[in-house]
Amino acid sequence: MTFIPDAFKERYLPLVDDEDAFLASLEVLLPKSFRVNTLKSNADEVKARFAGYGITINQMPWYQEAFVSENPDIGATLEHFTGAIYMQELVSMLPPLLIREQLKDARFVLDACAAPGSKTTQLAALMDNKGVIVANDASYSRTRALKFNLEKTGTINSIITNQDLRNFPHMQFDAILVDAPCSAEGTIRKNDKLFSEWSEKSIFSQSRLQKQLITKAFELLTPGGTMIYSTCTFAPEENEAVVDWLLQSYPDAVIEPIPEMEGLKLSHPVEEWKGATFNAWVRNTRRIWPHHNNTGGFYLAKVRK
Amino acid sequence: MRGEHRRQGNEQPPQETKGMVLDYLEERFGLSPETFKGFGLYMASKGRIYLGPVRAIGSPRIVCLGITIARLSGTVKPSTNLIQLFGRQMSRNIIRLEKEEAMAYARGDDLRLAPERLDRITPGYVALNYLDVPLGCGMLKDGSIRNMLPKAKRLELKFI
Repeated sequence: MTFIPDAFKERYLPLVDDEDAFLASLEVLLPKSFRVNTLKSNADEVKARFAGYGITINQMPWYQEAFVSENPDIGATLEHFTGAIYMQELVSMLPPLLIREQLKDARFVLDACAAPGSKTTQLAALMDNKGVIVANDASYSRTRALKFNLEKTGTINSIITNQDLRNFPHMQFDAILVDAPCSAEGTIRKNDKLFSEWSEKSIFSQSRLQKQLITKAFELLTPGGTMIYSTCTFAPEENEAVVDWLLQSYPDAVIEPIPEMEGLKLSHPVEEWKGATFNAWVRNTRRIWPHHNNTGGFYLAKVRK
Repeated sequence: MRGEHRRQGNEQPPQETKGMVLDYLEERFGLSPETFKGFGLYMASKGRIYLGPVRAIGSPRIVCLGITIARLSGTVKPSTNLIQLFGRQMSRNIIRLEKEEAMAYARGDDLRLAPERLDRITPGYVALNYLDVPLGCGMLKDGSIRNMLPKAKRLELKFI
């Protein structure tokens, strides 16, 4: 049994539709999921190959490149070896997917917190290696894993930069992903040590950083450009409150609705937290609870300048 | 500036070096320079040659552009990345492996093949395929193929 702190339950149980299902889901390991890398293969080819192996894989109705499998040996397939598939959590495929249309003719795209590169490699696939992706990470050591993954997937249209986003030189990007560093509460299903380091204090400090990151990223966005802000945590301080902060700083920011996706249950965001009511535009953002789709927890906001 | 000692993959190679890499890839593997149109070549430490976007940003601290496609050490050594990404467009010095051989290659083993399978292959770097899937690079010398797969990419394949 995973130890779940009382303070955690007090914070989140009032927010979920089904307390028991939510708590039970945190105890269950995530199923393995992967994305077909269209720079090297395609979904039909991979389906045929895996059928030949006798490995059952389930294609997601909301994204034909996304698959889930109970088989523990996905990593020992030829397709994994050649980079034709990339092991990636389902929810982490959403930020690039939500700007799919914008990516088609994008010239400059920024993945602001890129390591280890799941989203960067997906951006490159959606852009068919056209345009330029600046894959930035504040940590130099984390850029090593980023580089390994970009090489393995054949992501040629990338430039890896190592810069604190808050000091990023002024440039203009057509699209930006801010998959912000966060308290990562939604990753409990793959990290059972999470609660041993969990504290509300760390939520507050992450929130301060995230507010700086979202406003800086908004400044780097070209007028008409689109940004996705995402986290893998439940804390409203790191999600709705961060988007609310952006709207206070830049009232002209537009929070766009997140479209419905077939076979993926998206939930409404929190509208009030600890006595504060968020800006009404925040209602266009979405949460993903782990017990709804058998995924990790996630939060998504789509912002247009 | 912090990190100035790091050799970064963002220096333009001299025209002569660029020509040497492109000529080698065309002569050895039939890979046309057109393949890389719209991208730039960059040099980094240890003779590494990168293929990446035409450099369009100046000021943020750049770690590298694109992916390593070759390494210079007297000759040009094509990278695993290059072969895995562009192998299907190569037309020469390609060896098709059998299933067991492909698994041995992925594991990191050197290979010894019957001479008749090496008829149209000249000694030097070769591209290794399984079916039509490019796996990576080997070095053909004296009838055996030395495994050039980096350790970090080696894998015990269960499904092939």
